[in-house]
Amino acid sequence: MSDSIIDLLLKGTWETIVMTFVSGFFGFLLGLPTGILLFLTRKNQILDQPVLNRTLSVIVNVFRSIPFIILIVWMIPFTRAIVGTSIGVSAALVPLSIGAAPFIARLVENSLLSLPSGLIEAARALGATPFQIVYKVLLPEALPSLINAASITLITLVGYSAMGGAVGAGGLGQVGYQYGYIGYDAVTMNSVLALLVILVFIIQFAGDKLSKRFDHR
Amino acid sequence: MIELKNVTKTFHQKDKIVSALSDVSLRVPEGKIFGVIGTSGAGKSTLIRCVNLLERPTSGEIIVDGKALMQLSNAELAIERRQIGMIFQHFNLLSSRTVFDNVAFPLELAGTPKSEIKTRVLELLQLVGLDEKANDYPASLSGGQKQRVAIARTLANNPKVLLSDEATSALDPATTRSILNLLKDINKRLNITVLLITHQMEVVKSICDEVAVISHGKLIEQGSVGEIFADPKHELTKEFIASSLHIDIPEVYQDKLQKQDNGSLNPLLKLEMTGKSVNEPVISEVSRIFDTDFKIVSAQMDQAGEVNFGVMLIELSGKRENYDAAIQYFNSKHIKTEILGYV
Repeated sequence: MSDSIIDLLLKGTWETIVMTFVSGFFGFLLGLPTGILLFLTRKNQILDQPVLNRTLSVIVNVFRSIPFIILIVWMIPFTRAIVGTSIGVSAALVPLSIGAAPFIARLVENSLLSLPSGLIEAARALGATPFQIVYKVLLPEALPSLINAASITLITLVGYSAMGGAVGAGGLGQVGYQYGYIGYDAVTMNSVLALLVILVFIIQFAGDKLSKRFDHR
Repeated sequence: MIELKNVTKTFHQKDKIVSALSDVSLRVPEGKIFGVIGTSGAGKSTLIRCVNLLERPTSGEIIVDGKALMQLSNAELAIERRQIGMIFQHFNLLSSRTVFDNVAFPLELAGTPKSEIKTRVLELLQLVGLDEKANDYPASLSGGQKQRVAIARTLANNPKVLLSDEATSALDPATTRSILNLLKDINKRLNITVLLITHQMEVVKSICDEVAVISHGKLIEQGSVGEIFADPKHELTKEFIASSLHIDIPEVYQDKLQKQDNGSLNPLLKLEMTGKSVNEPVISEVSRIFDTDFKIVSAQMDQAGEVNFGVMLIELSGKRENYDAAIQYFNSKHIKTEILGYV
């Protein structure tokens, strides 16, 4: 393997890591509140807003049903308006974050649903306001499962970012696509694969460790 | 202290309307322990949840410490709830917090300063006897210890009222007793009014001053524990009382028990003392008058209020010709007597 290829692989790995974690961060910024709202507005939950709940649910479902590769292309005008370009790592962050957010929202909603309902009841009986219930009860209690949701999201984003590589997003995806698929360079393609596998394993391992550390059940 | 006036609660289930509570009224005087007993599905859970409006009644009035809760805004209600403690069957502790932080939780909600929280929490943990577990997580505690933490937590804001939702139903008998003693102690020492719901007559018998029986969302009978045990009117009430007075014939006796007397066996009697029974030392009277002896095989006697009641298995011996007269004498004193067989 020549030095230039190694440089290319290192650069690709770094770009993939940046895309995964930065879009993961923005994805959570959008998805976490949405997930909490989806949970709180459910029937018989503390906010109980059926109309808002259904509206939110429909929006989330619409975005979840768009295949990611199409979402990238569909969002090009929006991406350009936000970051000024439609190619490269920073351009990829926009569809990646938007693509991850509804997925995260559902994972968060599910994490909260799996908490024993008695906890909310006890907090209400002790005089907690809805806001206090969210940040003093729901989030800390769901933390281990939210960390698991984060690992799942980040791993999904590794895959999405590679897909973005095929349409000029950079990262390992682009390296694999250009050198592996178009140039048919088996060594480079397999190196890309190996790096992606290692990245996914590290995320899963770290996520499991972290989740366990906060789990006192 | 707690007053429910004509409280009705209906639920909409699919197309039909289910009535969980209909026209329930009760008053719990300050400093008393009031028990509501009923079978599962009778509406007792809904009833206790209506008191702090975890469940909003369809109609009626809820007055706690002179405040009509139904008229309060959500924010006012949250503050008022701090005066109303509540403990649950499944404890509902926060698993992500240590014992200390669980007890500190309601104080944090109320915005108590950190230094104050520390002294208050340690004081409360001492009260429930768990000061050594302050830094443990709830997962490492036994059921009884969890309930103690929950009690400490709910006492943190000095509530005037404590609601207990089947607090001992998930605990074994020995732990149940220790939790009940703790509740009684809290009631006496801190003058906290307690409203509890349960399906166990033992709970009512051991700590309640007053009791109400709930069935199909209606209170069918209520009064002081002594009154109810002395003179239960309703069939269901009688069943509850009977269930707390269950007695089995010991196996050794079971094996040698004969249906018929062959002229040399002793009768095995079951005596039931209820509130109607005469409050006199009847057994020694019978022994003296009829020249008979008693061997107590097994007994479960109790006191609820002024009433002494219970059930007893005794083996009768002595002057054989007086047996019938002795049994009649018991019955005349309203002690229900039954010959179970001969041994």
